[in-house]
This record gives sequence, structure tokens and C-alpha cells, in this order.
Amino acid sequence: MVDFINLIRNENMKIYRRPRTWVMVGFIFMLILIISAIWAANTSGSVSIWDAVYTETDILYMLVTIFVVVVASSGVAEEFSGGTIKLLLIRPWSRSKILLSKYLASVLFAVFLSVVMFAAAFLINWICFGLFNPYSAEEIVTLGDGYKPITYLFLYFCLKMITLLVIVTLAFMISTVFRSSILAISISLFLLIIVNTIVMALTMLDYAWIDYLLFSHLSLVPYLIENPRYDGSTLGFSLSVLGVYYVVFLVITWYVFNKRDVAS
Amino acid sequence: MEQPLVQMRNVTKKIGKRTIIDNLTLELPQGEVFGFLGPNGSGKTTTIRMMVGLMSITSGDIIIGGYNIKTEFEKAIRNVGAIVENPEMYKYLTGYQNLIHYARMTPGVTSHRVKEVVEIVGMSARIHDKVKTYSLGMRQRLGVAQALLNKPRLLILDEPTNGLDPAGIRELRDYLRRLAVQEGIAVFVSSHLLAEMELMCDRVAIIQSGKLIDIKTIGRNRDVNEQIRMVFEVDAPQEALSTLKASQIAAELVGGQLIAINADKAQTAAANAALVSAGIGVFGIRTDVKTLEEQFLEVTGGERIG
Repeated sequence: MVDFINLIRNENMKIYRRPRTWVMVGFIFMLILIISAIWAANTSGSVSIWDAVYTETDILYMLVTIFVVVVASSGVAEEFSGGTIKLLLIRPWSRSKILLSKYLASVLFAVFLSVVMFAAAFLINWICFGLFNPYSAEEIVTLGDGYKPITYLFLYFCLKMITLLVIVTLAFMISTVFRSSILAISISLFLLIIVNTIVMALTMLDYAWIDYLLFSHLSLVPYLIENPRYDGSTLGFSLSVLGVYYVVFLVITWYVFNKRDVAS
Repeated sequence: MEQPLVQMRNVTKKIGKRTIIDNLTLELPQGEVFGFLGPNGSGKTTTIRMMVGLMSITSGDIIIGGYNIKTEFEKAIRNVGAIVENPEMYKYLTGYQNLIHYARMTPGVTSHRVKEVVEIVGMSARIHDKVKTYSLGMRQRLGVAQALLNKPRLLILDEPTNGLDPAGIRELRDYLRRLAVQEGIAVFVSSHLLAEMELMCDRVAIIQSGKLIDIKTIGRNRDVNEQIRMVFEVDAPQEALSTLKASQIAAELVGGQLIAINADKAQTAAANAALVSAGIGVFGIRTDVKTLEEQFLEVTGGERIG
């Protein structure tokens, strides 16, 4: 077990020793700072810290997703393109365990970046809107009827993490199957952004299979307001569909990685 | 008798309908430098990839240190250190971080051992620099360092001298011989360069189009009592022939001022003494061993890849 943790430490070293990772963190921090500063300069105390945190995290979650997809996609693909996979696989470890260490490192990075974003949003907005605000934050909050703001944000965070986990797994699978990080990044983001919009339109149509598309269920946050959602599906149904896709992604990823001849 | 460290039994690799490796059977004892020679595309790298589990084996078995690489991969690979083609490292990490990375993956490799291998390959001065600043020769050394981390019984090197300058090649060669002799490590080294193999290896397997053609023992390891063809350069070849005939030594004229005999070391000296005492000027004596290159061209028939 201790030995397996060493594998994860290795993968973490390969993520956090790269400058690009810290550019991502810095970029998220800067964006929050800029939005909050402009917002604070143009309003006088009528904004609550909760509204600011919610609005900013909602915008920046897209960026977090992109960054996490980039890291998850390069995990396996860059070992192949750099040729380092050959030296990695000739150690006394099964391929499955090496792949698992890579996968877990990608998931940990998704959690890390999300937490960093939330923490930065809380800290910066507390300084901008909380410290010197004459109004009580609770009085002027506009989001999520029936929830305390902190509860709402916590549930929001959890639902977003579930979606992010599925997307990370999808990117990881494409990266393993096609051994190309560019392809994995483009396909994941294309599916996420473009297809997501098309599916919104598709839900208007009355085909049964649309209910089982992955992209009908990636957006979980609406369930906080109404369950069942606008299209009639429930949170439980959405989670089941995501769960099935998740397992399928993992099975494909592990099967392909174990079977592959390393010949590059 | 000691069990050979590596046993390949009827190893075959097929990709689609093409047979890349055809029924390869080889044995490699402990402490030998074994060359694997063949033209480009003959299946050297494929064989090495099967030995280290990077490629699946269509049929047949490879046993390393008593463990089958197919079924007991983790135990078999513990005996092995390898560089497969170029030693590609994580360029954004330092040399030291790269070594720590591989050390963590092998139980029992301490940071003390990491320092040790760094000194063995003479990289102490630059080990904390990023790999992207290294020259090819330094990357090659770092590759050797990672292969030695787990104190392997078998070192597998695929085209190790690619891109090295003559000094680097010589250094590597001396180093491999030292490993084999002092530490008893078996070295399996592939190359398409004949002259290099001749200097480095104890035995050489010649492979072409995936088939094992021949296994040659290299000259310097011959038995001292073995009869070798010796060539004498003399000023009077006809007289020399009759002198040797008188001394019961069968000799033949090979053209010009050269005559040849089959003799071991003592007989060579006796023949020389007979010639000198008969007043014949001997300009030179040399062994007439075919070079590996000649043998190689002979067995492969100088065939090109179709």
C-alpha cells in the first residue's frame, strides 16, 4: 500500500513540477481578483459575498474544467508521445496499477483546482464585499430559495464535482485509447461545449434515447431548484445514467491500456 | 549446471498476418555480454520489447531468472534493467528527480543507491539540472543509471551506442565489460553495427527477418589450444614451404609473399623458429580470423530488406 502511494507521488510530481500547472492556478486567482475588483468598484455595498462567490465560481467552473481536462488528457498521452512509457512500464508493477495511479492523480488534481478556486473566491470576495459591507450578507442574498447560502454553495460544489469526475474520466479514456493529448482535449471540450448545446435542443424532440445520452445529464445544478428537472428526469435517474457511463469509460480505458503493444 | 538467466523458447510474434519473429530460441547465461545483431527491421527491437513485457508474445515463452514474463511479469522484471531505444526521460524534471521517480517504483531502492548510480555513471556535477539541458551522451548515461537502480541481474540495451561519439562508445563498452566481469551481470545488447559488437560481446546472435541465423563466439574468447589459421609474410615463400614441409608442418601458399598454416600457439612459435633458422626473413605473423563483418555477410548472404 505504501508502495502504491509512491506511484501516486510520482504522478503528482509530474503534474506539480510543471510550470503550466502553476500558470493555471495563477490564472484562476487573477480572474477572480479582477472580476471582484471591478464589481466592487462599480457597486456600493448592495452585493453580498454569497452572490459574488456564486457568480464567479459559476463562470470559472468552465475554466477549471478545461484545465483539468488538459492535465487528465496529457497524463497517459504524453508518456507515449515522449517515449517515457517504455521506461515506466518495465518496473515491477502491473499496467493496471500504473494506470490507476495516473487516474487517481488526475482526479486529485480536479479536486485540488476546484478547492483552490472556491477558496480564492471566498477569500477575495470576503475582502471585497464582506469586510466593510454595512448590510448583513444574509439579507441581500438572491440565490437558491429555501437554502442557507453556505449549504447551497456546498451542494453546488458537490454536484459540480460529480460532473467534473465524469468529464475527467472521459478525457482520460480518450487520451489512453488514442494516445494523443490534443485529440483528447479537443474531443472532450467539443462534446462538452458544442454537443451540450445541441442536446439542449434535442431534448425538445420526443425520442426516448435522448434520455440516455451522457450530455443530457452533465448539468446537475438545476436539481437544486427543482427535482424533477424541466425535462422530467430526476436527480436519481441522472446519477444512474452518469454512473453507467462512468463504469463503461473505466472498463474501456483499462482494457485498452492492458492490451496495447507499446511499439512507438 | 546453473540455469541460464534468460531462456527464450520458440518465441514467435505475429502482427496481423505478418510474422515479425519466427520461432526464436536462445539461452543467455549469467555474466555474459551477448550481442544481438541484425540489419534494421530484422526484429531486434521487437524481441527486446517482448523480453520486457512491452509487447505481447504470440506464442512461445521467455523466462527470466526462472519467472515467465507472460504470467509472472512483476517477478521476472525485477531481474531486469533496460533502455529500450533512446533513453527518453521527463525533460521538465531534473536528472535526480527522474531517478527518484524510478527508484520509488522499485521496492528496496534507497536514496543512497540513487547517489551510488549517479557516481557510477559520472553524473554528479549535473544531476540537479533539468534533463532538457543535457546532451545526448548525458541522457544516455542517465539511461544507464536508471537501468542499474535495481541492481539487475540482466541489463538489456537496445542500440545503446546510437548517437554517441567515439569516446562515449568506448566508455560504454569498457563499462559494460566491467559490469559483466565484476558484478556477474548478464548484458543483452542489440546493434546493427558489426565492429562494435565484435569489441563488446562474448557471443553474438545473428538475426535476419525475424529468424535466428547463427550464434558466433567472438575470437578473443577462443581456447588457447585451438588451431587457428596463421599467415606468415616471408621474403622467400617457396623456400619457406619446403622448410616447413621438412619440419612436418602443412603449409600452403596464399599468394604473393604469404603462406598459411593451421596451428595453435606453440606450433606457431615452432614454425617461426624453423623459418628463421633456415635463414628465411619473416616480416610478419598474424591470425587469419574472418571478421564478424565477413561472417555476417556470409550468413546473411548480403541480402537486403525487400
